[in-house]
Amino acid sequence: MSRWTLGVGLLIATLVSVLLSVRLGSVPLTTAEVLAALGGNGDPVVQDIVLRLRLPRVFLGVLVGGGLAIAGATFQALLRNPLAEPYILGISGGASVGAVLVLAFGWVAAGSWALPLAAFAGAVLAIVLVFRVATATGRAMDVRVLLLAGVVVAAFFSACIAFILAISPARTVQSAVLWIMGSLAGATWRSVLLTAVYTTPAVLLLVAMARPLNLLAIGEETAHHLGADVERVKRISLVVAALITASGVAVAGVIGFVGLVVPHAVRLVIGSDHRALLPLSFLAGAAFLTLADLGARLALAPTEIPIGVITAFVGVPFFLVLLRRSVATP
Amino acid sequence: MHALLLTIFAAACGGDGAEEGAQEGDRPEPQGSATRIISLVPSATLTLREIGAADRLVGRTDFDTGAWVADLPSVGGGLEPNLEAIVSLRPDLVVRFAGSQDRRTPARLDDLGIPHIAVRPDRVEDVLETVRVLGRATGLEASAAELVARIEAGLAEVEERVRPHPRKRVAYVLGGTPPWVAGPGTYIHELVTLAGGDNVFSDLGELYAGVSPEEIRSREIDVVLVSGTDVFDPSLAPDARIEIVDESIEIPGPHLADAALQLAELIHGPLAPASP
Repeated sequence: MSRWTLGVGLLIATLVSVLLSVRLGSVPLTTAEVLAALGGNGDPVVQDIVLRLRLPRVFLGVLVGGGLAIAGATFQALLRNPLAEPYILGISGGASVGAVLVLAFGWVAAGSWALPLAAFAGAVLAIVLVFRVATATGRAMDVRVLLLAGVVVAAFFSACIAFILAISPARTVQSAVLWIMGSLAGATWRSVLLTAVYTTPAVLLLVAMARPLNLLAIGEETAHHLGADVERVKRISLVVAALITASGVAVAGVIGFVGLVVPHAVRLVIGSDHRALLPLSFLAGAAFLTLADLGARLALAPTEIPIGVITAFVGVPFFLVLLRRSVATP
Repeated sequence: MHALLLTIFAAACGGDGAEEGAQEGDRPEPQGSATRIISLVPSATLTLREIGAADRLVGRTDFDTGAWVADLPSVGGGLEPNLEAIVSLRPDLVVRFAGSQDRRTPARLDDLGIPHIAVRPDRVEDVLETVRVLGRATGLEASAAELVARIEAGLAEVEERVRPHPRKRVAYVLGGTPPWVAGPGTYIHELVTLAGGDNVFSDLGELYAGVSPEEIRSREIDVVLVSGTDVFDPSLAPDARIEIVDESIEIPGPHLADAALQLAELIHGPLAPASP
């Protein structure tokens, strides 16, 4: 399949999943009701459901899903490791410690912004910690040290969480588990705006660096000889991708598999030219997470199941099929 | 990430409410007058106090926080407690949670030859049964019967006082994103019903579940009860009154009539006076 075919296909898939997600939900609405609400008419309850609950949620799904996927693709290129994913630098651990602290100490009462803010701060703390370790050895940043530091920092945060939860009441444990499994249910126009303000330029910046990323994926030495400013590209793209992840995790919790599976799936179809891989990963991630959220809302409605369950249940078999096919036809 | 989730799941499964408890009828219930009691179930600890057995307690759990038990040594959590601490206190009775959440403790207590009884503090009826069971185990049947009568009278009074008030449609929110609500089959549902409220999530397929925000927006709700420090977005129920509930009422125990009264006043405002 050519990259253009896939691109058009993914664009249509994203649009269709956005439309479906606005049209469908646990409360059954008719198409006429949804259209009226979009036009600002009709039952105020329906207007609230469509304009203040479903729409921001869909947009947040597009931003977070696309963001996680493009961050994952970037990390895989930079770390030259197929297991790299957006949370690799201990970002999910840092964010979770922030969120769990807020829940354990009852700071949620301070306002709806307390939890995302703490999660974001935790994620940034993890990033800073890991980068300091990776750059401490000398001028050049060693990606192997970066990887190891990320794994170790993640393990440390995970111990912190286990400790905080061990001394917390059951209610805190329950809220923490739910937060860590991720959800788009908390979407508001404000969270959409905050995420968009950061994610949009960050995605454009990563796409603009696709060519040096192509060189880096081959090897740092080669990239250097071919005239890329290796250190600068590495640092900028790592920080940008890490911050996309941090902003996503702050508003939606830790949603797994999108950042790992989506870039690999796209790569298996169109190859690893980052000029196509990065934007198509964004589209694929956006469509995938929006549909996964729709599944999370509809599967057991009115109950919502954690979105991470859907991303794993759908993403993993799909990925295994792709993987088999790519092995079968070298 | 997976190791992290596993840790948390283990903690969550170990620490969460004892909703699904299998009734255990295979072991004869210890009878008589236990004098050195460790209660692993905080609500049973309160019941023991109410029936006049407070001075027989020799240990508590980390979750018993009242000043009157503060001087007692703790044996850790109520589920999977510290067995060494239990043995060292030489109890002649351990009161533990019924159900399958902690399979290890009953087997170990049997090995150690420590008598134990299981109580299930999940429903209104369980609370009354727990009082009776603890009365038999301590030889304080009379004061247990008196406590049961007092609770039943208290509940009857609440029912009578809410009768003149029109029933209200109530959602009980336990926080979280998506918001977690109490469904049918829970102690909270029973309490809300006793307090003159109709749980709008009576159709929930589970005991507790996170529901789509639009589900809350689309239902007609008079009062949203939000438990503890959890945050609820008031724009999800613009026509409802939002009241904060003290989390302590969610623990089934001997004070359940007071809890029902508290809830009734939150739901209806000032109640009709009790008939003399």
